[in-house]
Amino acid sequence: MNKKNKIPFKTPEGYFDSFEDKLMDKLSKTESTIPKDSAFKVPDNYFESFNESLKGKLENEPKVISFFPIKKIIAVAASIAAIAIIALNYNWNSSSELSFSDLANTDIEAYFENNDFELSPYEIAEVLPVTNTEYSDFLSSPIESDNLLDYLNENVSDFDELNIDYNE
Amino acid sequence: MIEEETLVLDLKTKSKQAHAFEVLVNTYKERLYWQIRSIVLSHDDADDVLQNTFIKVYKNIDGFKGDSKLFSWMYRIATNEALNYIKQRAKLQGVSDTDYQNKLVSNLEADVYFEGDEIQLQLQKAIATLPEKQKLVFNMKYFQELKYEEISKILDTSVGGLKASYHLAVKKLEQYLKED
Repeated sequence: MNKKNKIPFKTPEGYFDSFEDKLMDKLSKTESTIPKDSAFKVPDNYFESFNESLKGKLENEPKVISFFPIKKIIAVAASIAAIAIIALNYNWNSSSELSFSDLANTDIEAYFENNDFELSPYEIAEVLPVTNTEYSDFLSSPIESDNLLDYLNENVSDFDELNIDYNE
Repeated sequence: MIEEETLVLDLKTKSKQAHAFEVLVNTYKERLYWQIRSIVLSHDDADDVLQNTFIKVYKNIDGFKGDSKLFSWMYRIATNEALNYIKQRAKLQGVSDTDYQNKLVSNLEADVYFEGDEIQLQLQKAIATLPEKQKLVFNMKYFQELKYEEISKILDTSVGGLKASYHLAVKKLEQYLKED
């Protein structure tokens, strides 16, 4: 059964339709202690001459803007840190209780959390496409496979370890 | 008035860019100015931020996707520029944002471009005590008379949330003005 029909009370016609207007009227009356004019003024002809001064400033702006894409930097920093951690962990054969990967990641997060880059997420979002981001977008030169082999040659002592899956 | 879509298209077309940008500046400069001024309070700072806002718009117009209104997009840039300006200044002076904003309000007494009486000055002091979101919503609704739907797009907050913020702000301001 409809709840409405159970209640033996009625409202005047159009009561709910006009409720919001009446409420807003009442609210606006209670705001009367707040002055409507903010009292801020501008110098004479400020808006008329604004275009000229803006033009001057635009002409003095450097043409090329460099923009540091922070998310990309975070991604690179995280991947470099991950590579370094793997390499360091392996070489040191460390049995320390502290997990290097946890420590480094939280450090990186804390760093970006606590340092003010003077860019809001909106500003980053305005200029940064979030799709189709490749590591090659932010490394000026690609990593050559020879360099990778050299790196592994210098930093990895036991090549069999790298091929466990393959050997099995 | 020129259609928004045409304006955006012209702004992205090299040959029409200069004229389109002028139209854009003429259409929005006053509205953006008052939004910025309500945050930075002094005229000189508002002028700086307004210019930076238009420079940013000019440089990033290619990145404007058209999924929001040009007006809300620019308003958002202006708001962020103004808030960041305050934060940078506070940082430069080595004080907290709140202390810096209180200083801005006390500077109003000597500001030649603030012609407020005692109650208007008190109101600015009261607004300075509000949390950032309530401050923004109050200024946008009360002084700039923007619609909740417009504010919602600019601040990326639900209309319900904005109404709640606004009424909370009004209550706090009235309380402050009554006590003072």
